[in-house]
Amino acid sequence: MTSICFYFQVHQPVRLNRFNMFNNGTPYFDELKNKGILEKVANKCYIPTNNILLNLIDESQGKFKVAFSLTGIFIEQCQRYAPQVIESFKQLADTGKVEFLSETYYHSLSALFSQKEFEEQIILHRNLINDLFGQKSDIFRNTEAMYSNSIAKTIENLGYKGIITEGHEKVLSWRSSNFLYRPVNCENIVTLLRNYKLSDDIGFRFSAKWWEGYPLTADKYAAWLSRCEGDCVNLFIDYETFGEHQWEDTGIFEFLRHLPNEVLKYDHLNFKTPSEVVKSYKPVGVIDVPGILSWADIDRDASAWLENDMQKFAFEQMIKLEEKIKQNPELLKIWRLLQTSDHFYYMCTKWFADGDVHKYFNPYDAPYDAFLNYMNILQDIKNRLGV
Amino acid sequence: MRVLMLGWEFPPAKTGGLGTHCYELVKNLGLKNVSVNLLIPKRSTPNKHNLKNVEIEEIGSVPIMPYNSSKESTTTFEKGYGWNFFKEVEVFNKKCVEAAMKKNFDLIHCHDWITINAGMEIKKRTGKPLVFTVHSTEYDRTANIYPLSNIVEIEKRGVHEADVVITVSKQMKHQLIERYGADERKIKVIYNGINASNYFGLTVKQRKNIVLFLGRLTNQKGPYFFLNTAKEVLQKKNDITFVVAGQGEKLPELIKQSIGLGIADHVLFTGYLSEEEINYAYAMADVYVMPSVAEPYGITALEAVASGTPVIVSKNAGVAEEIKHCFKVDFWDTHEMANKILGILNYPVLGECMRNNCYKEIKNFGWERTANRTIEAYRGIA
Repeated sequence: MTSICFYFQVHQPVRLNRFNMFNNGTPYFDELKNKGILEKVANKCYIPTNNILLNLIDESQGKFKVAFSLTGIFIEQCQRYAPQVIESFKQLADTGKVEFLSETYYHSLSALFSQKEFEEQIILHRNLINDLFGQKSDIFRNTEAMYSNSIAKTIENLGYKGIITEGHEKVLSWRSSNFLYRPVNCENIVTLLRNYKLSDDIGFRFSAKWWEGYPLTADKYAAWLSRCEGDCVNLFIDYETFGEHQWEDTGIFEFLRHLPNEVLKYDHLNFKTPSEVVKSYKPVGVIDVPGILSWADIDRDASAWLENDMQKFAFEQMIKLEEKIKQNPELLKIWRLLQTSDHFYYMCTKWFADGDVHKYFNPYDAPYDAFLNYMNILQDIKNRLGV
Repeated sequence: MRVLMLGWEFPPAKTGGLGTHCYELVKNLGLKNVSVNLLIPKRSTPNKHNLKNVEIEEIGSVPIMPYNSSKESTTTFEKGYGWNFFKEVEVFNKKCVEAAMKKNFDLIHCHDWITINAGMEIKKRTGKPLVFTVHSTEYDRTANIYPLSNIVEIEKRGVHEADVVITVSKQMKHQLIERYGADERKIKVIYNGINASNYFGLTVKQRKNIVLFLGRLTNQKGPYFFLNTAKEVLQKKNDITFVVAGQGEKLPELIKQSIGLGIADHVLFTGYLSEEEINYAYAMADVYVMPSVAEPYGITALEAVASGTPVIVSKNAGVAEEIKHCFKVDFWDTHEMANKILGILNYPVLGECMRNNCYKEIKNFGWERTANRTIEAYRGIA
């Protein structure tokens, strides 16, 4: 038996306002833009895709199941601007076939600078998910699937049974991502590794006319899945793929509607959530990741967020405030919102000139604008803190 | 291929990008075995260039210097242009036509309105195809303030009669389509270039908080916005020197303005700078600001980058279509310009990242590229 394991990442950053050195008193966050984007994506993606999933779970009598990871700041923004989205996720939770994973509340890079802050954000998120959906997941996914031996150890110590990351050759070499592995020096936790090829076939290549797989149909894709070896095929995809990155007219919704049925035509395939996968299979080997592994870019490391000197400088300046800011509850929340990985992603200069995917998601004209804006806000916070 | 080229600025006598463009273009065309016969106005100092396959001929008897008028009082009508300027242009054009009749060539290539009348006449007489490079329009040079209608008419005719029109940016292309009703199909955008080895490159910055403006002191280049920005910057941080390099008709007003703003002790007007001094100015600056109201291309921005200096350019500048590792602002938005200048001065990593990346970016902007594209344009008609 091979289990198909779907997990969708759902996240929207709280974008910053244009904060000039001269306009003191400007709010830090761009309420209008954040509201506008959330409402747009709710209508194009979250609501319609949730409805499709609800139907599919119902029609398949529970054979089809999926997992989500919703960031805390996504949920907060929904509560403010589109509460119907939360209701819709609650309906999914009520089916009993949908799992909600654990992550940092702020989609942050906290794992890279402070164990204490990292753990606090995990707990904040855990409580929020428990309050909303009555679930406490055994599976953790770190921001952008960032992973290392030490992050795995921390997560194991917090009692998790599984951790999600990228199934890349640079750590697997000849081995397949379609099995569970044990992080080095751990005993109670396993890794669930993303099958990036099959995941990106949906996430990135679905509507790519240059791709030999085009057009991708549900039966074709199910046939590919049926030929996979291993215990689990982990399809970890940004949820916004459905209707937002891949627009409705690409046929992405039709694809999704037909996929479970096509998969279930194969007797040796079934669907499992990440925690079911962890319970059903045994690890087949050990993985050793001394540096940072992530699912981003071709480099699959932390370089999308912390590579150039601007990113490192901004990050260091932000980190430095930890101790002082924790005595100031109002600013603490703002400081945490500034930890969201997206702010650092906007400052990335890799491939900037080529206008790639970084640009598509970037509200700034250039990484330099992103840096300066971030620093202006941070400076304002420092002034308020008296640093 | 033999090209009869009509120019009017040529180093060392130059006041702007056109001179640099002409020199680098003919030099690189020559190296690619395109033979060029270049006609330029009489020089005060004879030219000593020795370029392969390039023959330079001085025509007429008077140097033409439209921007650096020697007469102090000019009428509104001829603002900025010398008294006899239009007469001189006419004589130059006539003599170019006479000279052309004695030469063999496959096509005519003119630069800006000053030479296009001759170009059109030569085309009429010989039937040879005409290429017209528009480096700037009358609207640009006057920053839209009272463009002279006779020049506008010449430019318009030139754009219509030329077989190929070359512009130095996309925005210039659109301008010609909108203002002059130019036929989109015959316009080719060919960007300017930079010979980076002529500049200091990525030297270590001394960080003396120098903010540089360099250009003709005319409405077109936006020096007023530079000074207003300086005022705002100085409210936040005052150990800064704002250098206004270059000469032009607006110098007295600018000095007055800096006194009026109460920032005169932070502003340095250099007046005329030699090419060598200009290179030092670029390299010493911590940031180069080009707040042009109208800027068809803006080679100075590339020169600053080649000198290892981060740049802030006007969003509407042609160069902003090409370089990405810089700041782009609206020329009127002094608030934002001040914000960005302070950002570069306050956070050394910002300027460092920007100048390093931009320096890499302009590596491919050699004049050879401009020459290659120009040859492609020639091939389409001759």
